Amino acid sequence: MLVLENVGKTYKNGVKALHDINLNIEQSEFVYIIGNTGSGKSTLIKLIDGEEVPTKGNVKVVGINVGKLKHSKVPLYRRNIGVVFQDFRLLEHKTVFENVAFALEVINMKKLDIRRRVREVLELVDLADKANSFPHELSGGQQQRVAIARAIANRPKLLIADEPTGNLDPMTSKTIIDLLEKINQEEKTTILMVTHDVALVDSNRHRTIVLQNGYIVADAQDGGYFRDQSIM
Amino acid sequence: MIRALCRHFREAFQGIFRHFAMSLSSASAVTFALILVSGMMLIIGNISQITMDLQESVNIFVRIDQDVEEDRVAILQMAIEHIEGVNTVTYSDKDEELNKLIEEFGEDGKMFEIYRGENNPLSRAFVVEIKQNYKISDVSAQISKIPGVSEAVFGGTNTEMFIEMLTVIRTGGVVVVLVLAVLAMFLISNTIKITIAARQKEISIMRHVGATNSYIRMPFVLEGIFIGLMGSVIPILITIMGYDYFYYTMGGKLITGLLSLQPTIPFVFYVSGVLAAMGVFVGFVGSIISVNKKLRWKR
Repeated sequence: MLVLENVGKTYKNGVKALHDINLNIEQSEFVYIIGNTGSGKSTLIKLIDGEEVPTKGNVKVVGINVGKLKHSKVPLYRRNIGVVFQDFRLLEHKTVFENVAFALEVINMKKLDIRRRVREVLELVDLADKANSFPHELSGGQQQRVAIARAIANRPKLLIADEPTGNLDPMTSKTIIDLLEKINQEEKTTILMVTHDVALVDSNRHRTIVLQNGYIVADAQDGGYFRDQSIM
Repeated sequence: MIRALCRHFREAFQGIFRHFAMSLSSASAVTFALILVSGMMLIIGNISQITMDLQESVNIFVRIDQDVEEDRVAILQMAIEHIEGVNTVTYSDKDEELNKLIEEFGEDGKMFEIYRGENNPLSRAFVVEIKQNYKISDVSAQISKIPGVSEAVFGGTNTEMFIEMLTVIRTGGVVVVLVLAVLAMFLISNTIKITIAARQKEISIMRHVGATNSYIRMPFVLEGIFIGLMGSVIPILITIMGYDYFYYTMGGKLITGLLSLQPTIPFVFYVSGVLAAMGVFVGFVGSIISVNKKLRWKR
């Protein structure tokens, strides 16, 4: 469902962020992407969600060649993917329910369908009782769960989680990763998670891809954190 | 479509109230600009009316050569009618000219009765009425060149100069109106810029969840239109009530009573319609400028 063929990205200022990346991720896979700052993780995500265009090679998601997409088609393509950020990015003046519904409103879903789906995802992330709360009334972990609910509300085929546990304590991080695993299993959503969290990668093992200086230096199907200093 | 439109309207109103002071200040700027526009339009409208009245009252008097035979008069009339800017040509024979002369002199006019018949020394003539926006002197000069025309005279250069002056004022008024419209657009554009800046986070989320560019832009454009429309309410009220008061105070005439003012209805409604349309237009263009600048998305 996600295929990268000889992908390279050089920014206008000359910075070479990615070199010859070849990657194949199947539907319903759960994949960690790890790497130091400047390793190319953010660029990889930008190429996948269509924010950047590869300098060479192809990025194909659900059969769509993202780099070749017309500008006007990018929003429609993005309805296939959900993104969760480290800083949650919730709208402070909207309730939990409204925050999730917002993602469905902008794609012009019917009001009744929106209500039904929002209730469904809030049940899934275990926040049905917080539907009328505002983000500032929630803990960090709860806010991230709202963000996850919003990202999956549209039933995306791919969920990109960009350091979703970066601002959370270990206990809360564990609940978030458990939730992502639940979504992966119940909704069959492919999960691509960028993380620095050694404990999580070790405890909840999944395929792990290591990026370094723009290259994929390891791709371990059985997962676990790489402690080899020559790799990391 | 309707569902999306309802959401856009809701967002646009929320935008106005979220930055109420800013929206109010740009609506006030539009109000101020449109009050001046309204004043200009009322002046321009009345100048047009006065110019039209004056032009209608000024005709060209064309004397026909004595030696032009009777059967050539119709050809001459056709030649004048074909000149650009000529509206109507009315023929007046020697007898009619004499009648006019007698009438002009009143009681004393009777002394001209001796010239009736064979002894009538007056020339046959055409009275030429010209179309609006044509220069009387130009048309008159062209008529005088036609063989068989002894002379072509009109009401005088003073009238023509007055009409020209009114035309200059009218053109100047249009320029002022345009400058004010641009100013109002600029102010609205700034307000929308601030609204966009305040909603950057929302816009970024919208982009991530797959909102199309037009969906993202629409509330801002609507907000600009509402601000423009809000700004036109007071100028419209001032126009309707103010002009009505002015018209009745002046008795529908200006200064000498010779120059008539535009009647209140439907004139104020036309002006109000233009003010509302200008409010919407400046709001629309002002917001489009900001939206295109700030929401342009490249990759």
